[in-house]
Amino acid sequence: MAEINKNGQIIPIDPRTALLLLLLVTIAVFSQHSFYVEIATLLVIFGLFLYGGLAESGLKFVLQFGFLLLLQYAIFPVAPKLFTDTFSILAAYARKVLPCAMMGAFLVKRIPMRYIVLAMRKWRFPQKLIIPLSVTIRYFPAIREEMGYIRDAMKLRRISGAARIEAYIVPLMFSAANTAEELGAAAVTRGIENPAPKTSVIELRLCPRDYVLIGCGIVLAAAAFHLR
Amino acid sequence: MIDINNVSFGYNREGDTLKNINLHIGKGECVLLCGKSGCGKTTLTKLVNGLIPHFTENCRLEGEVVAAGMEVARTELYELSKRIGSVFQNPKSQFFNLDSDSELAFGLENIGASPEYMRERLKTVVNELNVEGLEHRSIFSMSGGEKQALAFASVFAMNPDIYVLDEPTANLDGEAIEVLRRQIGKIKHQGKTVLIAEHRIYFLEDLIDRAVYMGNGEIARIYNGEEFFSLSEEQRVKMGLRKLSKEIPSVSRLPGRKTGCELVVKELCCEFKGIPVFDPVSFSAEAGEIVGITGCNGVGKSSLMRCIAGLVKQKSGKVLLNGKILTLRQRNKACFLVMQDVNHQLFGDSVWNECEMSAVYDNRLKIEDILRAFDLYSWKDSHPMALSGGQKQRLAIASGILTDKRILIFDEPTSGLDYEHMLAVSRVIRKLAERQHIILIVTHDMEFLNVVCDRTIMLTAKENGREA
Repeated sequence: MAEINKNGQIIPIDPRTALLLLLLVTIAVFSQHSFYVEIATLLVIFGLFLYGGLAESGLKFVLQFGFLLLLQYAIFPVAPKLFTDTFSILAAYARKVLPCAMMGAFLVKRIPMRYIVLAMRKWRFPQKLIIPLSVTIRYFPAIREEMGYIRDAMKLRRISGAARIEAYIVPLMFSAANTAEELGAAAVTRGIENPAPKTSVIELRLCPRDYVLIGCGIVLAAAAFHLR
Repeated sequence: MIDINNVSFGYNREGDTLKNINLHIGKGECVLLCGKSGCGKTTLTKLVNGLIPHFTENCRLEGEVVAAGMEVARTELYELSKRIGSVFQNPKSQFFNLDSDSELAFGLENIGASPEYMRERLKTVVNELNVEGLEHRSIFSMSGGEKQALAFASVFAMNPDIYVLDEPTANLDGEAIEVLRRQIGKIKHQGKTVLIAEHRIYFLEDLIDRAVYMGNGEIARIYNGEEFFSLSEEQRVKMGLRKLSKEIPSVSRLPGRKTGCELVVKELCCEFKGIPVFDPVSFSAEAGEIVGITGCNGVGKSSLMRCIAGLVKQKSGKVLLNGKILTLRQRNKACFLVMQDVNHQLFGDSVWNECEMSAVYDNRLKIEDILRAFDLYSWKDSHPMALSGGQKQRLAIASGILTDKRILIFDEPTSGLDYEHMLAVSRVIRKLAERQHIILIVTHDMEFLNVVCDRTIMLTAKENGREA
């Protein structure tokens, strides 16, 4: 059951599946010693990208991976020692974390914050963790907006050097205090303190494709331990 | 529905913000609270929605408030919130979620309503309020007016018996106010009780049953709707109230004065992420002239001003001062922008220091002179953040003048101001015009526009730069 999110995009999989996959992929790539497992992991995630309508960005990741392979197997053996020494470790690490980064990108691009909060609620993460986390994430874009205004103001006043840092912090602190107060008032008058168990308009339901994906993840993680 | 009996209230131990308030509002009544800034109208709304005493520390409350059958002081906020809905002034800071769908459902999710009920209810809300355009949106892509409409819809979703609105139009343009007017009409028709504190009054004609005029924390007089809207112009001004009828921008007062110093904007056009924000705009302004710029929320007024000030690069067109084309950097130097939220542009640790930071040359006399001119001299050792809103605004202007700026741009300088403060701002701006500054004012406040501007430019979505 594919849902449409705020930008008219399709939410391809259950947020819980996505979070679990991220965990399983991480386990797989850091414990694998087999090229086949690595390729399989990459292909599974690429498949997910295609399914989620992210072919272009998925292809970019695959090309990056291909480039790293090329570097390691075709260029490093013939390149000057200095070049190889400088970049080989970097390349090896980049290749390792690439599948995780790819899975992370999928989460950010396709699963809205609201769904991730819901997944955490389903898993019975404590409210004490969920509320601050969601408020923090809610506040980041607001800070970016405010920093934009402050940057404008500084440009027109020609403030430079160390004064700039202070000039960012003071207005931000004051506006944070105000925002916190106003946001708090809005939240309490809408009943956020109600002890009743919270419900949600969206109902999360795991469907076959979620089980298939989780299955793939488990197979990959297991294979990583056994295949040499 | 709302009974306020012998209430006195203070935010601290000494001094009363409200004195001896007795007010009884029946079911289905729509009541306006009005009066000058600081008269206690916002405080009175907080007594009803429970922010006082539950969300206010160290306050002192005497008397009794009963709303929707609950004694406010003895009822938990989340119980009150089921039957009393509140909409606040600042559309930016009343959202807990980042997308409109979550926000609409937020109140219902908190009381633990069933998903089936919520889906039904949200459908009804969207239909009844005609807010289809607000579904599936990111909060950051919405204009102030849309945000306020969403705030109203989210409260409407909870279907409270009492609506408490605290200056809901402070940041809205004429169109958004019209939307709010229809929404209030809707709930009134449903027999809901509405308590609204406002400076802008004109849009409430035909909606309110009574108007409570407050002064110094007391109820000075209660009018019925008809009586209130037939107050004479003289009485209105004496009471310090904003216009009772809708203002339309009037035409130029002083066309074409030649002073030799002139700002010319030619075919200016900006882009945001590759999409033109507005069609090319052309206009000119003389030294000593005050030009108002108006148009709906989101039509690109702010982008235009930021472009003139050299904060964003134009796609095409140019800005000239005294016949010379200015680069971005030169525009940064020539222009000063007084922001809607002046908190973003005060950086000093005292008023004096704020001025010193800006002064192009170290000139104590000039700083003193300007601080006196803006009524700030006696505050010279205070921290800028400790000043009142109006003082902060004047300090920002002072810092702009000290940087030797010729062009002063004001972004919504009167949002949320009462009549007297609005007049005070317009006096300051007049004074600046006399000092031969070129002044551009972006505003939705038609009353202010008519008081202060010599000329008005109306930005419209299709063909821009039409002069009214």
